Amino acid sequence: MITYPRYLDRQSETHSLLIGLGNAGINIVDRLISQTGFPMESLAINTDQQSISNTLASKKISMGQMTTHGLGTGGDPEIGLDAAKESAGEIQRSIVGANIVFICAGLGGGTGSGAAPLVAEMAKQNGSLVIAVVTSPFSFEGRRRSQQAASSLREITRFADAILHFENDRMAELIEPHAEVRETFAICDNLLFRSISSLNRIVTSTGPIPVSLPDMLAVLRHSDDSCLFGCGEAIGESRGHHALETALRSPLLDRGRLLHDAGKLLVYISGPPSLSMAEVSEVMREISNNLSPSAMLHLGVSATQDHSSPLTVTIMGRCGTGKRTGAQPKVTPDLTPLAQSQPTPPPASKPQQAEASFFEMPLAPTAHPTEKPAAPKVQQPLLPLDPVTRGRFDKIEPTIVEGEDLDVPTFLRMKLKK
Amino acid sequence: MAREKIHVGLEIGTTKVCAVVAECRRDGEVRLLGVGESPSRGVRKGEIVDFQNASNCVHDALSDAEERSDHEIKSVWLAVTGSHIESSNHRRSVNIEGGGEITEKEIEDIASKDKEVSLPKDNDILHSILQQYYVDGREGVIDPIGIGGSKLEADYHIIHGVVNRIQSTIRCVRKIGIDVEDVVVNSVASAQILLDDQKKASGVVVIDIGGGVTDYIVYHNGVVRQSGVIAIGGDHITNDLCIGLRIPITRAEKLKIEEGSAILENLSGAEKITLKNDTGFSGKEIDRSMLNHIIHSRLHELFLILRNRIQEVVPVHLLGSGIILTGGCSLIKGIREVAESVFEVPVHFAHAQSVTGPTSAFDNPQLSTCIGLVKYAHAVDADAPQESFFNRFISSITRKLHLI
Ligand SMILES: Nc1nc2c(ncn2[C@@H]2O[C@H](COP(=O)(O)OP(=O)(O)OP(=O)(O)O)[C@@H](O)[C@H]2O)c(=O)[nH]1
Ligand SMILES: Nc1ncnc2c1ncn2[C@@H]1O[C@H](COP(=O)(O)OP(=O)(O)OP(=O)(O)O)[C@@H](O)[C@H]1O
Ligand SMILES: [Mg+2]
Ligand SMILES: [Mg+2]
Repeated sequence: MITYPRYLDRQSETHSLLIGLGNAGINIVDRLISQTGFPMESLAINTDQQSISNTLASKKISMGQMTTHGLGTGGDPEIGLDAAKESAGEIQRSIVGANIVFICAGLGGGTGSGAAPLVAEMAKQNGSLVIAVVTSPFSFEGRRRSQQAASSLREITRFADAILHFENDRMAELIEPHAEVRETFAICDNLLFRSISSLNRIVTSTGPIPVSLPDMLAVLRHSDDSCLFGCGEAIGESRGHHALETALRSPLLDRGRLLHDAGKLLVYISGPPSLSMAEVSEVMREISNNLSPSAMLHLGVSATQDHSSPLTVTIMGRCGTGKRTGAQPKVTPDLTPLAQSQPTPPPASKPQQAEASFFEMPLAPTAHPTEKPAAPKVQQPLLPLDPVTRGRFDKIEPTIVEGEDLDVPTFLRMKLKK
Repeated sequence: MAREKIHVGLEIGTTKVCAVVAECRRDGEVRLLGVGESPSRGVRKGEIVDFQNASNCVHDALSDAEERSDHEIKSVWLAVTGSHIESSNHRRSVNIEGGGEITEKEIEDIASKDKEVSLPKDNDILHSILQQYYVDGREGVIDPIGIGGSKLEADYHIIHGVVNRIQSTIRCVRKIGIDVEDVVVNSVASAQILLDDQKKASGVVVIDIGGGVTDYIVYHNGVVRQSGVIAIGGDHITNDLCIGLRIPITRAEKLKIEEGSAILENLSGAEKITLKNDTGFSGKEIDRSMLNHIIHSRLHELFLILRNRIQEVVPVHLLGSGIILTGGCSLIKGIREVAESVFEVPVHFAHAQSVTGPTSAFDNPQLSTCIGLVKYAHAVDADAPQESFFNRFISSITRKLHLI
């Protein structure tokens, strides 16, 4: 068993609330509930009566009846915001008491874009930890929608503690180039709900190596960069390796290419009671082989009670300074070639050579010939990883009392303790 | 023998460097001649991180003090703090030769057993403070000289710290040609000016919340029972506000001082504070409730940590003279209410007693440490044997202090 300075007192219960805002947000929530029997409390909020009556969410608010006269927002965020103000009392009653509030919306329309900042602000004032999970629209939806999404995102940034921001363009372009918009949305939704359930697991996990709140916030705080996300699971032999492969194949990691650009990365590994430290080390070693040396890596590990549960690897992060570029430095192929496109590769089957696999990247004109040492360097997963959110105390000796990093604002740490 | 002498106290604080020039009268009164100050640069959590900048600030503060007091400064008494400073209580013993009366020799023998205290290898003792003597197991002996017995024991409160880190503070002063008479831990210095014998006897805690650190010292039954440093201060509150309200650090500092409060009661839900726009900052509305909540959380947590530390040695409700708050952060509105809710004993603010002079500086909690230094110097003058000075810096600060 690893001893690790606990950042949070995880004895106390966390109450998570998942809010779907607007059509897109509600779709994602519904998918989560229908596909995972999601355990979290959920709340659907919309101006559109119809979508409200069909949702699986446990609580529903049809907002802004006076403002919109049931006619929707016409894609105007101002109307969306007015509608939310009109129903602010009702919203407040439904969200108060949750320690963690996930706000899920497709930005660009009227309802989600207009109401999300206000809902985030209200949740924040209630003292909840606010995590926004949002998409920005496809470029084919037009400039107006992009602008509306951008300004809404800026507002949300003021109140949310963490933001997972996904670009529809990127998800679509990277998934199925010829897919219809409907299908594409389905795939996006899938990624979004996976990221939400991973995050929820991460913040409520009890270890053996919990991810501390500041670590998580450090990785997800800034919304300007869109989010890197990948998640995979596997059972049987070499399950760690296979789960990682699947995770890396995520379009949001640009099939693994973006890993090299990651400035901050959170790796979360969970598994059945048989999960061993050796497996964790192996996964970490494989990941670190593909990371830039300056990347900051945070590791979390949790074991479930359920002996039949798979080993899952979740990777979340932000790009480093460099924006995404086409050609990437060479990455030494340390893993065996990957199977392609099944969500979970059958663990026993021999993986076959694939054309577009993660490691067969365009070789950059040897910009960094010695970038990667050939010998695998072993990442020490046992060390506590440096937390941030320490602001002006970033570079000086941390104030640690009874295992807690007191440089992190008290009010942030209290949120999950309540 | 008591003499009239001018002493200079110097604190290189996280927020400000300050020097106090004062004359100590025979009757124990301290008369301020001048106070020099300079904002600090290169100091974090009470320790120097940028040597050159810090040294310049020390120079500025000392020049300022010279000018105001019309006294040429050659040497100073220096306050030190930092998270590396720790303390512990020890019992030690000597056998009384021939089973006769206890003499000066046994007292000196027992005092010199500092060397036997086991410390981390980079540490050395800053203060070794006598708590009480035992003669043949009988406790509470105040003056054992002349008492007969076969075994003399004594409890000491030892304050120690990392030698390198203390030396870097000393070097910062020596660099500009000023001598360091001695170094004194912040809390020990502040207690000199804030406490009298009655308070020490009935039990009291001094808490100095500065910019980078909180120094505390606990007295009970007339002796030091506990002391320490927690590297939390006003900078943390400022940083919390910066992160929580998403405003620049300079605005956060200003907001804290002008509007900051730790009071949660009777907040009308929607009260807003408007921050005007400024270069590089587009202005903003802040919720009063959020502001107070952030400050309250930090102070409440700090007091809880302190309460636990105090409880290790004395039940808090036995502190007859309660808690005395000082340091810049004691000026935060509502801090007393937060402290009272945690400690459940009366909480007072520092008023430096028995200090007179041309300034009202001694009302300023930010100067408690510095004025305390002068008082400490005066007490040492009056009591300590000359030969223990200037040997090694560390041995010079190791005193058998009845006077603390
Ligand atoms: N992932 C996903 N994104 C969607 C879906 N539907 C719409 N979007 C995206 O989300 C953005 C906002 O669309 P809606 O959610 O319909 O808008 P709204 O927030 O309800 O606001 P209104 O304009 O009032 O309808 C769109 O510009 C799309 O980019 C969906 O089912 N899944
Ligand atoms: N009126 C006020 N209200 C609130 N805070 C104040 C006020 N005045 C000063 N402070 C805060 O007090 C702190 C400085 O206190 P002080 O001067 O005692 O610290 P210092 O001695 O420089 O630092 P340290 O002892 O921690 O090294 C700063 O954080 C400052 O913001
Ligand atoms: Mg809609
Ligand atoms: Mg101070």
